[in-house]
Amino acid sequence: MNGIDNFTLGAVMNKRSRFVIVVTAWLAVAALPLAHAETVLHVFAGGPQQRTDLTRKMFDEYEKRNPGVKVTLESGGATSELQRQYLSTVLGAKDSTLDVLILDIINPAQYYAAGWIEPLDQYLGVKDAKSYMSQYLPAYATADVIDGKIVALPDFADSMFLYYRKDLLDKYGVKPPTTWDELATVSQKIQQGEKNPNLQGLSFQGAPIEGAVCTFLLPYWSQGKDYQKGIQLDKPAAVKGLDMWLGMVDKGVAKKNIAEVKTGDTVNEFMAGDVVFAINWGFAWDLFQTDPHTKVKGEVGVAKLPAMRGGQSATCIGGWQWSVSAFSKNKAEAAKLVKFLSSPEVSKYLAVKGSLLPVYANVYSDNDVLKANPWYGLALPVVESAKSRPVTSRYAEVSDVVRTQTSAALARVNKPEATVDEIDSRLSRVMR
Amino acid sequence: MSSPAVDLRASRPRLRLVDRIADPSERVLALLLLAPAALFLGLIVVYPIARLVYNSFFDLRMSGGQSAPFVAFENYALALTDKIFWNALWNTLLITIITVIGALLVGLGLALLANLPYRIRWPVRLALLLPWAMPLAFAGLIFAWFFNTDYGVINDWVTRLGFAPLQWLLQPGTAFAAVCIAIIWKSSSFIGLILLAGLQMIPRSLYEAAEVDGATRFQQFREVTLPLLVPSIVVALIFRTITALQTFDIPYTMTKGGPAHATETLAMLIHSTTIDYGDIGYGSTLAVLMFIVSMAVTAVYLRRLQRD
Repeated sequence: MNGIDNFTLGAVMNKRSRFVIVVTAWLAVAALPLAHAETVLHVFAGGPQQRTDLTRKMFDEYEKRNPGVKVTLESGGATSELQRQYLSTVLGAKDSTLDVLILDIINPAQYYAAGWIEPLDQYLGVKDAKSYMSQYLPAYATADVIDGKIVALPDFADSMFLYYRKDLLDKYGVKPPTTWDELATVSQKIQQGEKNPNLQGLSFQGAPIEGAVCTFLLPYWSQGKDYQKGIQLDKPAAVKGLDMWLGMVDKGVAKKNIAEVKTGDTVNEFMAGDVVFAINWGFAWDLFQTDPHTKVKGEVGVAKLPAMRGGQSATCIGGWQWSVSAFSKNKAEAAKLVKFLSSPEVSKYLAVKGSLLPVYANVYSDNDVLKANPWYGLALPVVESAKSRPVTSRYAEVSDVVRTQTSAALARVNKPEATVDEIDSRLSRVMR
Repeated sequence: MSSPAVDLRASRPRLRLVDRIADPSERVLALLLLAPAALFLGLIVVYPIARLVYNSFFDLRMSGGQSAPFVAFENYALALTDKIFWNALWNTLLITIITVIGALLVGLGLALLANLPYRIRWPVRLALLLPWAMPLAFAGLIFAWFFNTDYGVINDWVTRLGFAPLQWLLQPGTAFAAVCIAIIWKSSSFIGLILLAGLQMIPRSLYEAAEVDGATRFQQFREVTLPLLVPSIVVALIFRTITALQTFDIPYTMTKGGPAHATETLAMLIHSTTIDYGDIGYGSTLAVLMFIVSMAVTAVYLRRLQRD
């Protein structure tokens, strides 16, 4: 309608009045930014696993409380690696379109070393980074404080847990296993009893994705070893860890093509009722309970990961951080938003609505949070003692080597000994 | 009218340049006309390549802060002693040889099929165009699903035939074969199109003459079709070889170079070094080495072509 009206109007009008209209229109356009003098913050908020749907709701809340600020959400990258690729392209080009970024826990060290993210101390008015960060779970004081500066604030925590089918364990009168050996025995018993050839005993991540770095480290840490800058890789312990996983395949507990399994595959297969035990991140709980395709609702138990024989249970710390781009033109406003997104209030909201683990210890015992996630009493000690993957500015290389080699060992392309030698020789340069 | 102009030139030599541009000699005109093209070539082709070579002598990192020390040939030494580089080079050459020959054979078959004197040719020609028109990454993803252990159509056939399902993309040999099959499927239609054009240039009278002489179908193909098709085959081979040396999309989407580095090509190694690791210096070195390999292969073809 409008287009037609304008057309006939234009045809009958004389030149002068047309000129006046054009000038007025341009003046109006020029005056637009004055009329709506508002700050627009452009946020990269990750993919579906970071629950951008919930993030958007938090942005709406922030906009309501801060008139004059508009927050736009950009999502993308289903996996941590894809997001890292995207962000290194944008930030490598010193692009100023993004103000706030979500980062996997492994990335702040590299991004700060590259000069891509802004230290937040001055915007938060913080003198002592250590004492400010002490309000959060301990892992984040290590991951988000680089060279004594706060470079990111945590969004939600995460770590790997053992999910199990309560109904099946009850049926066979067994308790959640505490060692990997025990898990294998229990699984075999259930698999034999169920007589379902599609029932997997254990599903874990063997594909060359970020999760495979944890797969490599879980049994290694469980033997009391660590792998950080300055610490040499204990080769026999690492070999023992890989042998443990391969043993799971040999015993028929894990499926043969485990080297193809990604985080989402484990979630989907467990959700379909095809898996007894699954290793996965905290966010999976919500999917098992509320996803429209879930067949295991109400039948899922959570335990801490089993240990190697004679060792301690150990798990991988994960979680996502908010940080401010060093190329942002609205750093002060961006830092304010980051502070809000990392507040106890948001932490609680994410825990209740998305079963995303809180970054504050006291939120775990909140009644609403416990009602939505009855297993959080168990989660807190696990998250508090969870270990960090190597913290280094060259983590991308570390991760690539470890996950590629681990996956190849699980595909039986290389022997565990050769795999560990390869990891050690490729990383000794980076890790020392 | 002409004499005042001469006077002007003598008294005001500053105008000479303007004058020369306005009324240039043949040589100057040639230079003036070539200059913009040369400038563009310089900016678009020469500068990036020169910059690439320059970067390859520095320890330049996207994530390493500001300073980028000059390291002379250290990056080159690093590459030439790295078995991952040699592995990627070997994979690239092997993929090139296998898929170029494979695509040539399949492409020739497709072209002959499309050239048959049926009344309705468009279905064959459409089928010939479709794989070519499909983006490489899509083709890679489609074939990744075909070869998937649990849900793939290939393993479905394998089990229907009574064999045990294979883990196609998890074993180096089968993964390599799967990648080659996908590339051949994707690229043979391009070769088919070029050869079809070549086939249609061959005069029908030659076949009629051959028939009169009593030549069989196969003899016609060997003595008439093939020799006259050689120029088209050479053109197709050159194009296909150069793109095969740059293979990236299909193995990247199918296997990410895995298992271990079994299907990693040079282009993929350059990508992970520069984009994932942010190691621009070393990545540039690898790119220079790949450039040298491409030049060497192209030179071989060009010499062949000149001799013919």
